[in-house]
Amino acid sequence: MIRLALPKGRNLKIALDAFRAAGVGLADVDVGDRRLRVELPEDGLEILFLKDWDLPVYVEYGIADCGVLGSDVLEEVGADLLVPARFKEGRCRLSLIGAGNELPRPGRQIRLASKYPQTARRILEDRSWSAEVIKLSGSVELAPLLSLAELALDIVQTGRTLKENNLQELEIVREIAPCLVVNRAAYQTHRTELNRLLDRFEDAGTVD
Amino acid sequence: MRLSASLPTGVAALFFESARKRRQLENQIVDQLEKDGFGEVILPVVDYLEPYEAMPRSIRTSDLYRFVDRDGEVLALRSDFTPMVARLIVPRLASYELPLKLFYRGDVLRYQEERAGRQREFYQLGGEVLSRDGGICSRTALRQLLEILRRTLGGDRPTQLLVVLGFAGALDEVLIDNDDPRAVLEGIVRRERSLARHAPVLREVVENGVPDDPAALGETAADRLVELQALAEETRELFPEIDLRVDLAEFADQVLAPRLRRTLSIRPYYDGLIFRAFAGRSAEPVGGGGRYDRLFQSLGVEDVHAAGFTVSLDRVIAHRGEERMGEEA
Repeated sequence: MIRLALPKGRNLKIALDAFRAAGVGLADVDVGDRRLRVELPEDGLEILFLKDWDLPVYVEYGIADCGVLGSDVLEEVGADLLVPARFKEGRCRLSLIGAGNELPRPGRQIRLASKYPQTARRILEDRSWSAEVIKLSGSVELAPLLSLAELALDIVQTGRTLKENNLQELEIVREIAPCLVVNRAAYQTHRTELNRLLDRFEDAGTVD
Repeated sequence: MRLSASLPTGVAALFFESARKRRQLENQIVDQLEKDGFGEVILPVVDYLEPYEAMPRSIRTSDLYRFVDRDGEVLALRSDFTPMVARLIVPRLASYELPLKLFYRGDVLRYQEERAGRQREFYQLGGEVLSRDGGICSRTALRQLLEILRRTLGGDRPTQLLVVLGFAGALDEVLIDNDDPRAVLEGIVRRERSLARHAPVLREVVENGVPDDPAALGETAADRLVELQALAEETRELFPEIDLRVDLAEFADQVLAPRLRRTLSIRPYYDGLIFRAFAGRSAEPVGGGGRYDRLFQSLGVEDVHAAGFTVSLDRVIAHRGEERMGEEA
């Protein structure tokens, strides 16, 4: 039986829809499920419900064999996990956001607010700003609005929040996608089942 | 100043029972290595940085703990044993009889971003085999690691051990003319199917570890794959309890072709057989190693082959602990 970790956050519905489209029933499992773990022998799965930021730790330690996780979290934590597939649904952008109409001029001293400090530092390695990274845990868009920082690095889905608050998406840094992540050792031991599942995702057209 | 028992991120102190477990395991492995003809070398924890700048190495310069000492020398804390062993043994090589089998033990320090389970100080115990026969080096290093793991993780309730074998440069001939080899290689290492889609052989490697037809890898790699599969078969007979698999995707980033190395700006360490051992379900290997003739070639030695292995004592101990927790639960 494969132990699958599902995220409690915005990617749960996307994961459930993708698994069901691939013919995995996941009976009685739904968004808002308050159970911590569910055994589904008919699907050959045991489901663990985890917070996004904890999920890669559980998979890397082998508590779960695989999971569904946003590439934003995956990059930020730098987990050594396999990423055999990216789901088509739920894609969004990791972008630099500001209150002005353009990025700060090269060489300027700036502050960059983000939920993703490690990713922000990596992005800044290629830029000419002298930057201080400020880690925030939510409402990152407020930082440029209230002049805590010149820029924010955050997820943009529709851009509506930005528009309503007179903020600009100044640069798309990368595309973010929910991914199937797999433990390196589990990939070897469950190779046949995982490849079969991946084939079914491909047949259903839910992954790239 | 207020007295505190806190330590810097990524390092740990071991007291009493934890220290006893570490020493007990270390002694068990050292006894076995000495019985099998390995001699110990004790190396300093601080060394010059400069001699290693041009050598193949497994970690980035930015991950070293570097400092300038009072004499103005740039020094680094030990981050790996093998390059130091190679540098120090080459001038003395003529006075030793080959094959030479040696082992080392001690702490290494590497910067790693802070997160659960990621240490900056590791206790490493490993061995090296130098010989004029490359096949002897590879076989001896692989078998020695498997023997150590069999004994330390075996016993009444043996741990499921999985060992993955591959070789450096396996995909070079397929990738050499690719427009974006970095993206494809990173995708293969992560088993990203979409990035391997344009070449059926890469797709087979990503999914199954090896292609259906070895010839699709190119002539050189195909011959080496056949040799590797023979080594795997021979090793399975010696260690039937170990799940041993050939998987070229696991080590795809260990390229050999100079053009790929330049494009990727990397100097991978291994240049022949590579192996990695996993215990139970953890993605963190309990041991690994491989062949690195190139390291000695970079020091001007052409006719000596070398292979080595390391065991992560902390992961072996952690794994033994998890087994016990599982039994108690």
